[in-house]
Amino acid sequence: MERQEIIDGLVEILRTVRTIDQEKLNHVTEETDFIADLNTPSTELINIAAKAEQKFDVEFEDDDIDDLGSKVKDIVDLILRTKERG
Amino acid sequence: MEQKGRKVAVVGMGGAFPTCNSLDDFADKLFGNQSLIRTWDKATAHGKNIRSTVSGYISEAEMHLEPVYSPLAVDYPEVYVDLLNRIPDINLSTADIGSIWAMLGALDAIKMAGWTTEETQSEATGVVVGSGGGGHEIQRNAWHNFFVLGKKTRIAGSHTVDRSMVYRDAANVSCLIKNKGVCESIGSACATGLGNIGYAYRLIKYGLQDRAVAGGVEGTSLETFIGFDAMQILSRGFEPAKSSRPFDKDRNGFVCSFGAGIVCLEEYELAKARGANILAVVDSYFNNSDGDGDMFYPSFAGQKRLWKGLLSGIEKRPDVVKVHGTSTPIGDAIELLSVVDVLGEKDFHISAPKSQFGHMLGAAGAVEFIAAVLMLQKQQVLPCLNSDNLNEELENFQQKEQWEGSKLPLAAYRHLLPQQSFAKEINSITCLNYGFGGTNSAILISKE
Repeated sequence: MERQEIIDGLVEILRTVRTIDQEKLNHVTEETDFIADLNTPSTELINIAAKAEQKFDVEFEDDDIDDLGSKVKDIVDLILRTKERG
Repeated sequence: MEQKGRKVAVVGMGGAFPTCNSLDDFADKLFGNQSLIRTWDKATAHGKNIRSTVSGYISEAEMHLEPVYSPLAVDYPEVYVDLLNRIPDINLSTADIGSIWAMLGALDAIKMAGWTTEETQSEATGVVVGSGGGGHEIQRNAWHNFFVLGKKTRIAGSHTVDRSMVYRDAANVSCLIKNKGVCESIGSACATGLGNIGYAYRLIKYGLQDRAVAGGVEGTSLETFIGFDAMQILSRGFEPAKSSRPFDKDRNGFVCSFGAGIVCLEEYELAKARGANILAVVDSYFNNSDGDGDMFYPSFAGQKRLWKGLLSGIEKRPDVVKVHGTSTPIGDAIELLSVVDVLGEKDFHISAPKSQFGHMLGAAGAVEFIAAVLMLQKQQVLPCLNSDNLNEELENFQQKEQWEGSKLPLAAYRHLLPQQSFAKEINSITCLNYGFGGTNSAILISKE
């Protein structure tokens, strides 16, 4: 799975989170920070992670979620890493 | 302790009312002798598994709300969209349906009160709002996913706590209006709505706050409904508009309904000084417990002590008694006989708003308080709808040796129970509400 494909999928998830300014989702890159750039409420991050698990058919470890950074590339890395782990 | 000379005014009202698009619509329908009770499709969908099928329910669409269903859990509204943009998305994300109604009611009530942003956000402004039930609709999803489906806790989403905690209504209102005074909920079953208003009254009367947003909420929830349905205490066998019939000989249970009632209370002199439209003045509030160890059975002695406390040191007597009047066989009879025991048999009328919209549980006392304020404003008495035939024979409990109340059948009090709304000079109204656990609340309000 390509990294851009994952980013596009994440943006689809982010478009369902009404507390995120939808305008800002037009220019999401790997360096976009969920908290600093998108003002995502911290309580929504776990919902985004859970929806990403469903969308990309993976199951994250609790430790991975606890250690997850707040940039888009962090969750892209985690998705790819988890997929590799099988 | 009470501070002498300090009075409390009612300056704003709002809420969510079945079939009604505004407070004015609610008033028009009530004084037009209409019933707000309908057949509930969510109940009939369960066929023979559910006993009662009528309710004063409120749909999401009727409140201009649209649920967004979670892709992770079947039929679970993970958030609501406010189609009229009254509430910011950040506040909607932490709210169950009842909390949204509470926020909408608070916005309307504060607008009617005319409070400035500074007054609303003051340290002297409190929020005291409660519900009878928990956030059952939210909890059911979390529990089902975890316990039945064996899924991870995060599948239920991260808002299970804030959307279902006991004081979620107060918390959501407080986060919306940004008051800096107290934020609490009083829980007393079906007396919750009046209990919260009474507690808010005391906060102001005792000098702890100058203003309060207060009331009760019961969000539409089949989860709540089925608990009462299982007890076989809900009305059954009548067409919807005839289902809630307090005092009628053929009553067989209450109609489980939903709604929200929110009021703004303010220290009287402050309200007067800023030229507020004072809707009513609170003369007295009192609450107590039956003390007879019975969770459900109403107490004649407990209700008489309630009245004694309410009227202690007060000379005025109510022109209207807004009763709890649920349409249950024993409850209505005990209540009517305790009222006449205290007030006599003339010079007042009894109003039973549940006859029109059913029993809103934790919201009942607050919505009925609003109905009482409307009676003061309109100078009209709301009816005991469907009280078509009163028992001409004594109730069983009246025939027992230890019974100390009236020895007349309920039919002897027909003149106190109007079947239609009617105009009359109303200076004072008493509101009564009781709850499981033997808790009783009463408030006395007057025209300014």
